[in-house]
Amino acid sequence: MQYGMIIDLERCVGCHACTIACKAEWEVPVEFGRNWVKRLGPSKVGNELASTYYPGLCNHCAKPPCVDACPADPAEMTFKDAKSGKTTTLSVAATWKDPFNGTVQIDKSRCIGCGACVESCPYEARYINPAMVDDVSSDGKADKCTYCMPRVEAGLAPACVQTCITNARIFGDLDDPTSEVAKYVKKGAKGLEPKGESIGPNSRYYGKKKDMTLLFQESTPELADMGSVKRRAMMASMVKPAMRKARDLGLLGLAGAMLVKGLSEKKNDE
Amino acid sequence: MSESNTSQDIASLYRFLAQCMQYPDPEWMNDDFFNVFYNLLGSLGAVTEGKEIRKALEQSSDFIEDLQIEYTRLFINGVPHVVAPPFASVYMDKSIQGSFALRTLNFYRKKGFAMGEEADLPDNLIHELEFLSLLTEEEDYVGEEEFLSTLFRPWYKCFCPRVAEETRHPYYRMVVTLIDFFTKEEEEDGFQLNEA
Amino acid sequence: MAFNLTRRKFLQTASLAAATVPLAKFVSAETGVAKVSLEAQGTMGDTTVVGGLCEMCFWRCQLVGKVRDGQLMKLEGNPKSIDNGTAICARGNAGVKLLYDVDRLKYPLKNVGKRGEPIWKRISWKEALDECGSKLKAVVDQHGPQGICVFPHGASAKYPMHYFERTVGTHNVSEASFFQCRGIRDAAYVNTIGKAPGEFVDMANTKVLFLTGSHLGENIHVSHIKAYINGLQNGAKLIVADPRYSAAAAKSDIWVQIKPGTDTAYLLAIMNYLVTNKKYDKEFVTKHTVGFDKFSAAISEWTLDKAAKECDIPAVQIKEVAELLAANAPNVAIHPGRHVSWYGNDFQRERALACLTGLLGAYYVKGGWVPPKNPKIGKTSWATQEHGDEHNLNVSNNKMVHPFKPPGTPTELIRDCAITSKPYPIKGCVIWGQNPMQTIPNQEKMKQVFNAMDFVMCVDVMPTDVTMWADILLPESSYLERHDEIKVGVGKIKADDKEPTQFIAPRMPLVAPMFERKDQVYITNEIARRMGHEKDIPVQTLEELVNKTLESANITLASVKAEGGIHLQPGKSGYGVPEDFEVLLFNEEIAEAGFPGAPTYTPVEEVPAGYARLLYGRAPVHTFNRSQNNVWLNHEMPDNPVWLNDEVAKKLGVKDGDTVGFINSEGVKSRTTTTVKVTPGIRKDAVYMYHGYGSANPLMTAGVGKGVDDQSLITKIAVDPETGCHGMRNNFVKLQTKDDKTLDFPA
Repeated sequence: MQYGMIIDLERCVGCHACTIACKAEWEVPVEFGRNWVKRLGPSKVGNELASTYYPGLCNHCAKPPCVDACPADPAEMTFKDAKSGKTTTLSVAATWKDPFNGTVQIDKSRCIGCGACVESCPYEARYINPAMVDDVSSDGKADKCTYCMPRVEAGLAPACVQTCITNARIFGDLDDPTSEVAKYVKKGAKGLEPKGESIGPNSRYYGKKKDMTLLFQESTPELADMGSVKRRAMMASMVKPAMRKARDLGLLGLAGAMLVKGLSEKKNDE
Repeated sequence: MSESNTSQDIASLYRFLAQCMQYPDPEWMNDDFFNVFYNLLGSLGAVTEGKEIRKALEQSSDFIEDLQIEYTRLFINGVPHVVAPPFASVYMDKSIQGSFALRTLNFYRKKGFAMGEEADLPDNLIHELEFLSLLTEEEDYVGEEEFLSTLFRPWYKCFCPRVAEETRHPYYRMVVTLIDFFTKEEEEDGFQLNEA
Repeated sequence: MAFNLTRRKFLQTASLAAATVPLAKFVSAETGVAKVSLEAQGTMGDTTVVGGLCEMCFWRCQLVGKVRDGQLMKLEGNPKSIDNGTAICARGNAGVKLLYDVDRLKYPLKNVGKRGEPIWKRISWKEALDECGSKLKAVVDQHGPQGICVFPHGASAKYPMHYFERTVGTHNVSEASFFQCRGIRDAAYVNTIGKAPGEFVDMANTKVLFLTGSHLGENIHVSHIKAYINGLQNGAKLIVADPRYSAAAAKSDIWVQIKPGTDTAYLLAIMNYLVTNKKYDKEFVTKHTVGFDKFSAAISEWTLDKAAKECDIPAVQIKEVAELLAANAPNVAIHPGRHVSWYGNDFQRERALACLTGLLGAYYVKGGWVPPKNPKIGKTSWATQEHGDEHNLNVSNNKMVHPFKPPGTPTELIRDCAITSKPYPIKGCVIWGQNPMQTIPNQEKMKQVFNAMDFVMCVDVMPTDVTMWADILLPESSYLERHDEIKVGVGKIKADDKEPTQFIAPRMPLVAPMFERKDQVYITNEIARRMGHEKDIPVQTLEELVNKTLESANITLASVKAEGGIHLQPGKSGYGVPEDFEVLLFNEEIAEAGFPGAPTYTPVEEVPAGYARLLYGRAPVHTFNRSQNNVWLNHEMPDNPVWLNDEVAKKLGVKDGDTVGFINSEGVKSRTTTTVKVTPGIRKDAVYMYHGYGSANPLMTAGVGKGVDDQSLITKIAVDPETGCHGMRNNFVKLQTKDDKTLDFPA
């Protein structure tokens, strides 16, 4: 099973309802979004004018670079197939691809907030939510679209799909040939692969030829330089536990106080 | 001084600060009130500031109305936008009644409190100060610390400078500075805070 | 400031003489410990409250609220809705952020400063109402009821508007929805087919959809957009006339890049082509139209070539459009439009659209103009009373000034009278839900009106620009916190249903109002009591008003609530032309009043050398100027980039993303700047921007300085002669660069 989403640009009118419904459903901070709508054109495509939209969200990729980038200590997790009830246990970092439904998810309690996954995502579908702070990370936690798994498990459509005013967003199992999403793929719905790469995005677009050309022309991303992302992630994972220890011993507090004191004494002298 | 007396005093202090933030009304904003207020400033060594406030009040033909106008401008509706709404969610969620208000309410509940019939929103500065007063009355210092650091200071540190910088009346500058002073964790004993 | 102690030291040592004030705000209660998880929990487990009726715009989608601990977390379409279904647009979704907007009005305020430069003081409701009642009564006592003018807008303004019109007795009411929006359309169709047209085009079943300057896709009305997209998916051809490659143009089969202001010439040429080539619906014309001969003679000058030249479009394209319409008639949808107060020649254009529909026989047929058979409900309000025409500004020397005006009095007549006190003084102003500073052209003139008043009161949810001119400002409960307005309509429960189903959806509150916000019935009644109209009060509460209105449908608020917030009953399709239906191709009454009886094109002022015409329009995430402070919507589209033709940009040396300001042909400069959007999708003689941006208030937390207020540049006033409504696209601008250099548009 592989959940996926189709966005039918013939139907989409670029109203942004998807973006706002998601914000309300998942209490996303004002300045971030788990999905977005970008307005493209009017621009020349060949000899004609075109104008369309790029409603984007996490692609829950077949080979998600964000999962590889996560430096958090792996932990054993048991996954369950919603249909058959079958379970399997895997060792995963703080973000993973679900072996049964194909979605990419995050364990907030284990996320160290280093931002490596955010940088590795070519679609900029992840952000660090600064409101999510705990003992593991004071910088916030990585956050993104979950394909509304909690809603789907409760028998509901994803929030963006439910509110879409023209039924331009269609959600379902791409592996099921009878599903509407699979039919769209057969008709030619395509994902936005990064330049020269093949990571298998599962949010896919369907539309008039000129609109698709405009979308791919203006919105095809590039893969981040994984070398530097990985290096940063490694450093973060090495440094974080040390910092935590330092904080536990009260060293950070002391250092902070001295720093403040120094500054304030200087002020007083003036 | 005994432990319980101290906690009673701190509780009273929080209550008093909450009172200072109520809409000005001659019912309570009288000579007795200001005597206590100047007393408090005096014991903190802020004599000059106390004099400044006294002067501002004495020079006015209707100081209550002055303070009512300033209160409206700062906390209710400015021209036409309010300077510093006294609600945590405004700073944390950019709206009234955001999830921060809910977290605040949940904290009250965790400590066994609920909102009263006449209450305003849970994250109103006045109620947060009242809550701190109730916690210290129960000598729940751990709760007080936790509330201050996780739910109070994160927004108050945005609220306070806005009022301090924007206000046209020394009374409100002093009130928010007092609240700041009494809710800020010292970085180190004996070290002089120097802000505002 | 420095305290000479630390907090800790102070607390340890000082003998504290603080006053202990008994406050019982908190009540101890035994509640469990709520677990706070980092992960947002979603709204699946929240309480669903039914009966919501959206008013982020005025289409009024049916809502449910997801409520957690008394807090509204999310709005969704009511699953029982056969109108919008579970879908709502971005603005509908963002209603939560209007409800909880930081800057919303909370308490009654009194302006103790000056109008325009207010100093606010919170006062009690009693004081506020006493002041409103006594001041308005003084105006009526001294100058008569005509001494009061009213600027209403929205559902909550209806009840007070009726009070001032019917009971107090003033004609001087100017509704933005009429005089600055769709009033011309309604008046033109009433004087052609006897009915206001709504937007009742059967788009889902049409073969051709014909749009003139439409914002479909940018102005989002959910059920309307659903029908539009379903029609296109069913294979409808789309024709869009617009100087700009609009959202609709991007989905079109034929885009007619028309010169602004010339639409009527284009329509006349299409009709003349249909008539000359006998491609109109002869049977329909014979049976259901009046004045065909006079009409066809009047439009006969409009050859394809003449129109092509006037409209700056190819003649073959007009022919292509006419042929496509004729080939698919009568199943074609000629859209009447919505915001149509464009050029001051708009009544005739709207008449032309109504006549074109008639020539094609496209009334009451599948895919044509089909009015819904709506359920009947009552009209409870203040009793109507006759007040005569003595003080009706629209009647001069026993003649109507604007004989085909929509309800109310044309805005300019009211403004001129208020400023000059001729023929009589207007000294009291009631503003209810409207923001005349950003809806009516010429802001300086509006300020003069307010300055001429003895008393100005404002009722609103937000501190909009106009509220700065109020003496008393009252906070109203929003559409999410009160009963109100009843939406009726028809829809289909299942797509393949033969007959439609009727629905009645009265507004019910989803949460209780916070602070001291009150509804319109409370406020109006309290003022009426103070003005001596106690005995005329029709209802005591808003709830009672709605229940009385529902009586004739044999339902109550309680019964509708039990039904899930929407009452459904069997309905009938609107197809089938009524026997007595008539289309007045030539209208003798219009001719007798001294205007052209057949649709006629009047050219508008040409763009002066060096300037471009300022066109404005809708952003899909905003409603007029009402939503600019909504933090979610603001984040989606924080400013309104100005569309500039790519070739023009090159000549001006302006690049995409550059910052520019504006100066108009009357020397008025924009207060703020915006960015440039360089595109081939706009004509060279025009620029375009979204309306509803550019608040100048430094304390506006979300909207300040974001984009440009197009209304501030619309200073030249055009008035449509038949209707007295405004035309707002006859203003011309130049760009100004950051270093204040003014750029002349190339010829």
